Amino acid sequence: MSISRRAFLQSSLAGGAALTAFGFDVTPLYAQARTLKISRTSETRSTCPYCSVSCGIIIHTLGDKAKNAIPQVVHVEGDPDHPINRGTLCPKGASLEQEISNTRRLLTPQVRRPGSDHWEDIGWDQALDEISRRVKTTRDATFVEKDPQGRTVNRCEGIAWNGGCTDTNEFNYLVVKTMRSLGVCYLENQARV
Amino acid sequence: MRDSWQRRIDRAARLAERDETARPLLLLYGRLLGIQRDCYEMLRQRGHRLTGSLDRDLPELRPCVEPMLRAVAAIGPPRLADEAGRILDGATPAIDALLLAGWRMPGLKPRATRRSSGEQFFPKIALQPYAECLASIGVRPRDRSGLRGSERTGASDEARAERSEPVGVQGSPTIQGKYACPFCGGAPQLSILESAGDADGGGRQLLCATCFTVWPFRRVLCAQCGEEDEHRLGYYHSPAFDHLRVDACDTCRHYLKTVDLTRLGIAVPVVDEVAGAPLDLWAHEHDYQKIELNLVGL
Repeated sequence: MSISRRAFLQSSLAGGAALTAFGFDVTPLYAQARTLKISRTSETRSTCPYCSVSCGIIIHTLGDKAKNAIPQVVHVEGDPDHPINRGTLCPKGASLEQEISNTRRLLTPQVRRPGSDHWEDIGWDQALDEISRRVKTTRDATFVEKDPQGRTVNRCEGIAWNGGCTDTNEFNYLVVKTMRSLGVCYLENQARV
Repeated sequence: MRDSWQRRIDRAARLAERDETARPLLLLYGRLLGIQRDCYEMLRQRGHRLTGSLDRDLPELRPCVEPMLRAVAAIGPPRLADEAGRILDGATPAIDALLLAGWRMPGLKPRATRRSSGEQFFPKIALQPYAECLASIGVRPRDRSGLRGSERTGASDEARAERSEPVGVQGSPTIQGKYACPFCGGAPQLSILESAGDADGGGRQLLCATCFTVWPFRRVLCAQCGEEDEHRLGYYHSPAFDHLRVDACDTCRHYLKTVDLTRLGIAVPVVDEVAGAPLDLWAHEHDYQKIELNLVGL
């Protein structure tokens, strides 16, 4: 049943009292409505990134689309209409919100030195330098140009790459390009969704 | 899922005790529910005579309508009380015409054909128990314009099978009637979120404003225009009404309220929806139109 804002206000303000379209007095409710703190949330249908089952999820993002407001994920739930999971999620999928918003998230690279019993924070530049040096050293030491039969193989057998489940398509593309250029054969990721 | 009339009345009384602001509205709504329950009980006793065609069922419905009008004249707000009196003073054909008009034009009315408050209220209060009675005895309405052709002629297996799947999953959402109640063709009053079994997410259902039938409906889909762009859809929530939200569409500027039973399982959707009246007022202030007004006109 449709009632325009203009018609609603006309009926609302008749006789100085707030009335519904059917004449019920809602003056106190009108006052309460003015005090409500109301926020807008949008629901986005997506796919859980954790494994190859590809469960459907709905991500709730708080934000009123204002330019100066940063949207914030406030809830992630299973998509009840998705044919694979029908709203269910495994414990890992059910904790997806924490994958996005988590105060315990690591913000700097960490390293555990040989013989050490703890992880230490290091800077990004230091981490890149150390990784580059180790990659170069390991590749130079383990690079196989020809196999025992004399065939050219150009492979690096001393390095392996294991990707994470939340790596994006773009990230995995770059990983493959980089690792293949180094000759790395032992390459695995979670890009199955 | 179908709530009994008594459960609705009890819930209205309980909410009225708790909520001082909405108390007058809820007490009045509780009384209206009582009137409707009496009508429903009367119709249930004559259920074997109901055909699903209001034209033919009017002789069964008339005995309920007169006491209903008298009760509204006694307890209703002045505007409706006056109209109830005028209708009672008129002839029976006028009452019949009022009911038939309300029955044959379910759902959204174009602005040009919008009628007076009484013409919208009285068919609704009488037809809700009639339609729910038809639903409870499994007699499908035959002469409502919201029904698709195959359903207007009677119950079909295809229609029943269709009801087991969320509407909007198959086929392209194009016309308003596609989202009408699969039983009577009425517009949705509200939507319900409820977990099924082990599901983590709440499955969405729509509740018919006329016969209170509940049918599955897809999440992130406008029940008015079929918009499914998540950037054009959103819900508004206030901590003051934790289990209620306003599901709004920025494409057609329509909304309906959602009762989240995963947050409050004891809620009775049609009553809690009325108790969340301030959200309706807020939505109107922000230029959203409700898909279907409830019995108190919000």
